[in-house]
Amino acid sequence: MSPGLHARLPEPEVDGITRPSSPTTSPKELYAIVSQVGEGTFGKVYKARNTMTNVHVALKRIRMESEKDGFPVTAMREIKLLQSLRHQNVVRLFEMMVSNGSVFMVFEYMDHDLTGVLSQTQFAFSEANLKSLCGQMLAGLAYLHHKGVIHRDIKGSNILINNRGELKLADFGLARFYQKRRRTDYTNRVITLWYRPPELLFGATVYGPEVDMWSAGCIMLELFTKKPVFQGNDEIHQLEVIYRVFGTPTPERWQEITELPWYELVKPKEVILNHFRELFRRWLSPAALDLAEQLLTYDPAKRVTAIQALEAPYFKVEQPPPELPVGLSSLEGEWHELETKRERARKRRKLENALQEHPI
Amino acid sequence: MATGFWSSTHYKRWIVDRATLRQARATDMRYVGDPEYFIHLSLFFANVITKLGKKLAFRQRVIATAIVFFRRFYLKNSYCETDPFIVIAACCYVAGKAEESPCHIKNITAEARLLFSQQPYGVKNFSVDNSKLAEMEFYLVADLECDLTVFHPYRTLMSLCRKEGSNESQTEAGEVGVGIDDGPRYWGTGEGQLELPDEALQLAWSIINDTYRSDLCLLYPPHLLAIIALYLTLALHTPTKELIMQKSQLSPSDDSHVSPRRSSRQASASSFGSKKPQDFIGFFAGLNVSMPLIATIAQQMISLYSIWERYKEDVDTSDTARSAFCTQTNSPYSATTQGTGHTLAEGRSASHSRVGTPVVETPDDIRKVDGLSVVTPATLVQTLTRMRENRLSDLARHSTGGRPVVINKMLERAQAAG
Repeated sequence: MSPGLHARLPEPEVDGITRPSSPTTSPKELYAIVSQVGEGTFGKVYKARNTMTNVHVALKRIRMESEKDGFPVTAMREIKLLQSLRHQNVVRLFEMMVSNGSVFMVFEYMDHDLTGVLSQTQFAFSEANLKSLCGQMLAGLAYLHHKGVIHRDIKGSNILINNRGELKLADFGLARFYQKRRRTDYTNRVITLWYRPPELLFGATVYGPEVDMWSAGCIMLELFTKKPVFQGNDEIHQLEVIYRVFGTPTPERWQEITELPWYELVKPKEVILNHFRELFRRWLSPAALDLAEQLLTYDPAKRVTAIQALEAPYFKVEQPPPELPVGLSSLEGEWHELETKRERARKRRKLENALQEHPI
Repeated sequence: MATGFWSSTHYKRWIVDRATLRQARATDMRYVGDPEYFIHLSLFFANVITKLGKKLAFRQRVIATAIVFFRRFYLKNSYCETDPFIVIAACCYVAGKAEESPCHIKNITAEARLLFSQQPYGVKNFSVDNSKLAEMEFYLVADLECDLTVFHPYRTLMSLCRKEGSNESQTEAGEVGVGIDDGPRYWGTGEGQLELPDEALQLAWSIINDTYRSDLCLLYPPHLLAIIALYLTLALHTPTKELIMQKSQLSPSDDSHVSPRRSSRQASASSFGSKKPQDFIGFFAGLNVSMPLIATIAQQMISLYSIWERYKEDVDTSDTARSAFCTQTNSPYSATTQGTGHTLAEGRSASHSRVGTPVVETPDDIRKVDGLSVVTPATLVQTLTRMRENRLSDLARHSTGGRPVVINKMLERAQAAG
């Protein structure tokens, strides 16, 4: 990757009506790559600097040479979706850029992602900060669902945070438009396993925005515990991990469960009781426990919506009120899942080397 | 119209004026000979895309998107410097993906190769190599500036009217904005929808299909084109008009005279059912759009139909309204749309007085139709080949004389795409 990119059509973003009659094609070196910050669904993500304004952006490269099927359909979806979305809690796509046989998506730059920021130990979030992060995530989801979009891949590395403490949902490679009134079949193979709701684990193909709300519940718990709560190894194990916390689903709690495609295959073998409150009391306040429980409701029909969740006593009544984690601006370094992974790999290598040199 | 249109790239970047269109055509214009061929080429390419789209089992919306992509691509390129057939294949490929009806690249290559190898296209060298199509797709997406959301008039039509006896509004999955703007139309009177007989709605739908056979989709926002289609259906197509008049007269009379279907609808006590004839003029007046502009676009549409009279191609007529507006009365489609026994010629002559434009029956047109210069797909394919050869030899001549690199790039690209 050459550091200088020839940007085509750097059209200034102007709100309202701009109608250039014929777009200009003057190539100039607009962005200089600073570093790699992530690995998206269909390509690498770089931090880059706009050489004219000095503003940082994130460049997501859509690789096409390796794609037998040409332009990835996931990328096309993400572009279409992001072009029609505009919200303070949804990552902003500034423009598209073509350079050296690649297409780049140019995003606003976000310093951290949730996984990275929760794994660092320099800066400790206050209760009010966590409430703000949770509220911002739900506000982003409320907007998406209002727009008729299901994200379908809510997880720590897809939730970005900047130094001003603003949270934005990103990576819409799996997202799609859904119909509010008519439920139709979608693919079941969505959402990273640890954040996947029980109805998908039971094989549902007819589902709605509730799938995002389960993931949001997982994230909410993760904000407090600092690590993913349900870490299953495969689909069956994932259900077992969930049962250990919330108990096994009963027909009273979830009526339609028996009608789901894989129910007979994966139904619980023994009865486990709900231990959620005893397990999480030491991390979450009473109102937070209430909200998390409503988000992590087995029956998708009873699961709280994003709009309802924003009205929960956790936000509206219980002290302290939410507060942006502005203290992040003093945080040194940038924290993305990628660096966390690299750091972990580096430590592992060190340990292995040490073990090789000094066998126990 | 989905609420997203006014903030969309479709509105902001891809509605152009005639001057831009002329500018985009400048290179081709030097080689084409008869400027009217442009109109025929537009029609011809739209028909090719429709044919390929149908082979790929695309819905009308996907085909329409493919055509819009094609038109947008040729705002920045010229026929004589590219191979329109590979562009067509790429447009279908991208449209399938953009409209959530993805089709495998192998499948597109195979279908395109088969279709284009037939007469009248006679494209012998369409590559079997998928990577050629993938490469063209890249150029296409780049020139489309990754603006992949296209709005279509079909939705406006379905929100303005409904089929007689049904209360369902139809929308399709995967459409931008579905499910968010189910409220009353914000730019209309909110008075509700026009209720049309099936035939009329079908005709309006076909007229919308026909707008894609021209450059109108680049010039005007889709909701205006939907209104044009309605306007042409109601004001100019006499059989439909008569049909509606008859039904309207029947409507207020007592239930014993009407068909069971209607009475059941009236019995279902919709606010629409038991009331006086619909006020069409009031309906259009309430549409908060410029009626002079509507009339202008309608005239452009009518003159297109008349220019198409010169063009002879065997196509599946089920998706066009052309026969309803031309002199040929032997097409099976015109028979079905007639319905009331009026001849289409009468329908058209009625339209003359309405719009005040000489439409088809000028001596000039008749002379052409009578055999002096009928345009066929074969003529157009020959024209395209000639344009391209002339362009390439001009480029070759110029490039030896130290022309800017841009031209060489174009040449490479034209060859690569071929």
